[in-house]
Amino acid sequence: MDFLQKLRQNQNFRFAMLTLPGALFLLFFLILPLISILIFSFWRTESYELIADWNIGNYTTILGQKTYLTFIWRSLAMAVSVSFACLLYAYPVAYLVAKRGGRYRLVLVLLTAAPFFTGIILRVTAMQQILGPIGLLNMALQNFGVEPIQALMYSNVASAIGLIYLWIPFMVLAIYLSLLNFNFELLEVAYVNGAKPWRAFLEITWPLNWIGTAIGIVLVFIPTFAAFVTPRFLGGVNGALYGNILEHQFGATGTWALGSAMGVVLFFICLIFIVIIWRTINLERSGYTGEGF
Amino acid sequence: MAAVSPKERMVVVIQSALLVLLYAFLYFPIFFIIYVSFVDNTVWPFPPEFTWQWYQRLWIMSDFHLGFFNSLLIGIGTGALASIFAASAAIGLLKYRSPLRGVFAVLYLSPLFVAGILIGISSMMFHRNILGLAGNLHSAVLSNTTQALSFAFLVILAQLTRYDWRMDEAAMVFGARPARCFWEVTLPTIWPSVLGAFLVSFILAFNNLEITFYAVGAIPTLPTIAWGTLRHGIEPELYALTAIINGLVFLVLITLFFLIRLGFVRLGYRGQ
Amino acid sequence: MTEPALKLVQVEKSFDKVRAVDKVSLEVDTGEFFSLLGPSGSGKTTLLRVVAGLETPGNGTIHIGGRDVTRLPPYARGIGMVFQDFLLFPHKTVGENITFPLKMQRMPDDKQKEQLQWVLALVRMGGFAGRYPHQLSGGQKQRVALARGLVSRPDILLLDEPLANLDLELRKEMEVEMRRFQAELEIPFIYVTHNQEEALTLSSRMAVMHNGKFEQVGAKLDLYNAPKTRFVASFLGSPNHITGRIKSVDSGTAVLEWKGLQLKIPAYAGCRVGDTSDYFLKHERISIQAPAEAPPAEGDNRLKGTLRDIIFKGQHSAYFVVLENSEELVVNAATEMPDLKIRGPVEISWHPEAGDAFLSEET
Repeated sequence: MDFLQKLRQNQNFRFAMLTLPGALFLLFFLILPLISILIFSFWRTESYELIADWNIGNYTTILGQKTYLTFIWRSLAMAVSVSFACLLYAYPVAYLVAKRGGRYRLVLVLLTAAPFFTGIILRVTAMQQILGPIGLLNMALQNFGVEPIQALMYSNVASAIGLIYLWIPFMVLAIYLSLLNFNFELLEVAYVNGAKPWRAFLEITWPLNWIGTAIGIVLVFIPTFAAFVTPRFLGGVNGALYGNILEHQFGATGTWALGSAMGVVLFFICLIFIVIIWRTINLERSGYTGEGF
Repeated sequence: MAAVSPKERMVVVIQSALLVLLYAFLYFPIFFIIYVSFVDNTVWPFPPEFTWQWYQRLWIMSDFHLGFFNSLLIGIGTGALASIFAASAAIGLLKYRSPLRGVFAVLYLSPLFVAGILIGISSMMFHRNILGLAGNLHSAVLSNTTQALSFAFLVILAQLTRYDWRMDEAAMVFGARPARCFWEVTLPTIWPSVLGAFLVSFILAFNNLEITFYAVGAIPTLPTIAWGTLRHGIEPELYALTAIINGLVFLVLITLFFLIRLGFVRLGYRGQ
Repeated sequence: MTEPALKLVQVEKSFDKVRAVDKVSLEVDTGEFFSLLGPSGSGKTTLLRVVAGLETPGNGTIHIGGRDVTRLPPYARGIGMVFQDFLLFPHKTVGENITFPLKMQRMPDDKQKEQLQWVLALVRMGGFAGRYPHQLSGGQKQRVALARGLVSRPDILLLDEPLANLDLELRKEMEVEMRRFQAELEIPFIYVTHNQEEALTLSSRMAVMHNGKFEQVGAKLDLYNAPKTRFVASFLGSPNHITGRIKSVDSGTAVLEWKGLQLKIPAYAGCRVGDTSDYFLKHERISIQAPAEAPPAEGDNRLKGTLRDIIFKGQHSAYFVVLENSEELVVNAATEMPDLKIRGPVEISWHPEAGDAFLSEET
């Protein structure tokens, strides 16, 4: 009895020894910084210096002024449409690789993920070389004597294409990983019981893979909402998004307090989005059995 | 081996076409920019006039040298920290059935759900205004490690979930103490995934802009230099840089892929 | 004249040049409990999947309830099916799982409820409708899977090794239940299994499948008592297997030389002196006794041996007898045999016709 008790204590001790270092690290270098900008967001900036003068002026500015709200709405619209486009495109692709990829499926899915590792700045450079004013597309059109397609150059559409380019690997990967653990035999059961393929998809495949799909949506939504590189180089004059004015506060203007508040707003909009998505998940109805995590 | 009816075959054909189109979409810009980096007439490179001059110009820019070196340091530092934290966490979470597992798992994955720029600015503000430190390579490594940790954690978790912990029990029954057991049984099995986690975090931190730009202060790194250059209009040297980085990334990924494949074959427990 | 519930004509299915199902023809009538028995890889599951429409046959036609369904997808065939791992939808409750086929048929909700109550009562799972599959035991999952297969009163119910993943006790219980469902509903059951006990217990008729072909189709007792092929004889009843050379043939009986012993066996068609032959002898067809108690019937085989071991199996026991040629035969007999002692001498005997003889296959 004594031995067992010791063993259990020992196990808890080992669990703590293994998991705490990383957790403390995240606490110190992720969570504390986030709390610190929450604090700074209630301060004031005067000639590039933060002053601990508690007020909610930064928030009334962001949420009260039309310019800021416009950026929020624009980013929101961009994030929703880019996530939706990625979802629509990634699902059939991930489905194909997971179901019929066979022994090549790892290679096939890694090929979609590989460009992600080059980093956004170089990928945006590459995209600009295609969609920019002296990009391949425009120059080709000029060479053939056709008017350039305005919609694809320095526009929100160009930004959206760039953002899909950047983040669709996340969506493919998330859906693919979910489908890997999906028992495709359940579809046969549905067919035998009278469900046509699209019905079987809606009744079985979609709900049982909704958690993975939702994670994919969130993983695309967040960086798209916070994007600042892509809209800057592909979006043109009217293409600036929320990320651009956020970045601006920490660059030229040096309005740290307002910038912090904008960061907090960004964080909470993403959080609200995550909560909304989370509310759609019914763990019992996801096929979650309590095994594993 | 389900039946493939003509209708189903058509769906597969459409899906395959989408997959090929996705590859084209993802890789065409990269290959095009690599191609452009070798030509003189970058604006309309048909027919190409080949040249090395962009590489030569890149080579003599001392900023890029420094930036490359700094990015390398950030990558290595982040890779080492992230993979060690992640490996230890993944082992702890999978091996011991603690009631706190869920909380820790959520914590370890949470950086994935925080925008990069937010990690960057919050880390900058924290260092500057709370710790009173200017941004430098250390702070860049520390903030990059937060996000890289999640990716490293996922990479290791993916393999460790297939690890059979009864092997450890077996080793202990035959008299191995926990530390010995780790060296003799666990580590030889999981090292490919730890290496994979290191390489993934390394590449992510090496190329990171959103976090590094704010956390690194005035020190140049490759992505921040590229960002600065791009702001003043695109320079052909950037094509050469893109070509080189893409080449390196693919080299690392291919190595990683084969290491993991070989690792699985020689050392890893494959599970069912 | 009524159409058979299921009619297969020359059905073929190949995977990469391997003939999984090779020109199989079959008719099953309404009210039959029909088993497809065969070892793994014999093609029985493939045949079932072809009937379900989950595989398309390379050749041949399939009729269900008089309707040609050969080219129809599974969802248009109006069948019920029970799968090996139950395959309940994990995100749907028991009730939703069971009413799934009805929902697909667009049956009105109140009618669905009625059917659900009826079938839940039938499988004795009343009160479980709101549970999720992961809250059920193996046996309960099995009942739900059966209910889902039966709820729409399909023309035919296909069962793919439904009991394979249950433990022995549950299996016995479910065997009884399935006979009851089948008898009550009069829906033909096509039951695939590799377990001959199951097939023999459950079915009225059965087919033994081997290498994609039907070896023999018929009433189960006919197959058991009068196997027509070497494979069926070797498979059903797991008999003693004796291989030897024919020494002489004489009107209906032959003499088999088996490692120094001579046995009388029935002469099969085309039996010739010098042939290598297999003789399959079911355990329970051999009598065992202490030496020279009573003389055996005229014409019986009679061998002396030593009793190596007795394995108790309830009313019957298995007696392992080592013969004078060092070969061993297993005998099933009553457990109460006070005269027999382990390592003691015994005598065994049987009528030649009790076993089945066939020409050996070339190996």
